[in-house]
Amino acid sequence: MKLRLSPQTMLVLDAFLEQPEEWMYGYDLSRVTGLKSGTLYPILMRMAERKLLETEWEASEPGKPPRHMYRFTPEGLRFARASVTAGARGGLGEVALGMVGS
Amino acid sequence: MGAPRRLAARLLRAAVRLAPGESREWAAAMLHELDFVEGDWAALFWALGSTTVILRHAASAWREWFKGRTKEEVGMNNTGKKALGVGIGMFSALALIGCAFAVLRISGLVFPGLEHSSLTYWLAVLAIPEVIFLAATVALWRKRGPVAAGVLAIGLMMALHVAVHFAMR
Repeated sequence: MKLRLSPQTMLVLDAFLEQPEEWMYGYDLSRVTGLKSGTLYPILMRMAERKLLETEWEASEPGKPPRHMYRFTPEGLRFARASVTAGARGGLGEVALGMVGS
Repeated sequence: MGAPRRLAARLLRAAVRLAPGESREWAAAMLHELDFVEGDWAALFWALGSTTVILRHAASAWREWFKGRTKEEVGMNNTGKKALGVGIGMFSALALIGCAFAVLRISGLVFPGLEHSSLTYWLAVLAIPEVIFLAATVALWRKRGPVAAGVLAIGLMMALHVAVHFAMR
C-alpha cells in the first residue's frame, strides 16, 4: 500500500512528529501547517484509512461539542519517520507502507 | 454570531445530514471544529472547504459502489443484457422511422405548398431506413450482436408489412 508524499502530506507528518504521542485537533493542525480544511482533511482521511492515524472523539463538558482527535498509530509513526528521512535524503515521492521496518 | 458563521454552520449541518456512512463521521468532525475557528469569514471558508471534501468523499464512495454493482449485474445476468441489447436495437430502428415520418409531416406543415408524393413517403419511411437497417446489422453483428438482431427484426417486420401490403392489392 502506498501513500503519495505531497508537500502538504509532509507538512502534516511533520506536525504530528512534533509531539507524536499527543492527540491533535483538525483546526490546530490547520493552523500549524497552514493548510485549509479542503486540503487537510483528505490527507487525514487517507492516513486514517491506511491505519497510520487513530481517531477518537474527545469527551467534552456538557454544552460543548466533542472534538475529533488524531494521533499516529505505531505503524504511522514508523512510516512518518521513514518518510521524513527519505525526504531529507531527497528520496522518492512515495513510500511503500509494507517496506517500513517493524 | 455573524451571518457568515451562521451560514457556515448551516452548510456543515446539512453536509452531516446528507453525508453517507463513513463520510458522516468526518463531516461531524469538521462541523465540531467550526466552533474553534477564529473569525466569521474564516469559519465560512472552513465550512466551504469541508463541504467540498465531504462531497468528493461521498461521490467517490458512490462511484465505487456503482462500479461494483455494474460488474455484479453484468456477470450475473447475461440474458438480461442480451434482451436489453435487442430492445435498444428495436427502439433505435423504430426511432429512425418515426423521425423520418415526423420530418416529412413537419415539412408539409411548415411549407404548405410542398406536397409529398407517395413515392417520397416510400423512400423516406421505408426504402432508406431499410438500407440503413441492413448496413447497421452488418456493421454491428460481430461487436453488438443483440443490438444488430433488434435492428434486423424491425427491418424484417417493415419488409413483411410492405409484402403484405402489395399482396392485398
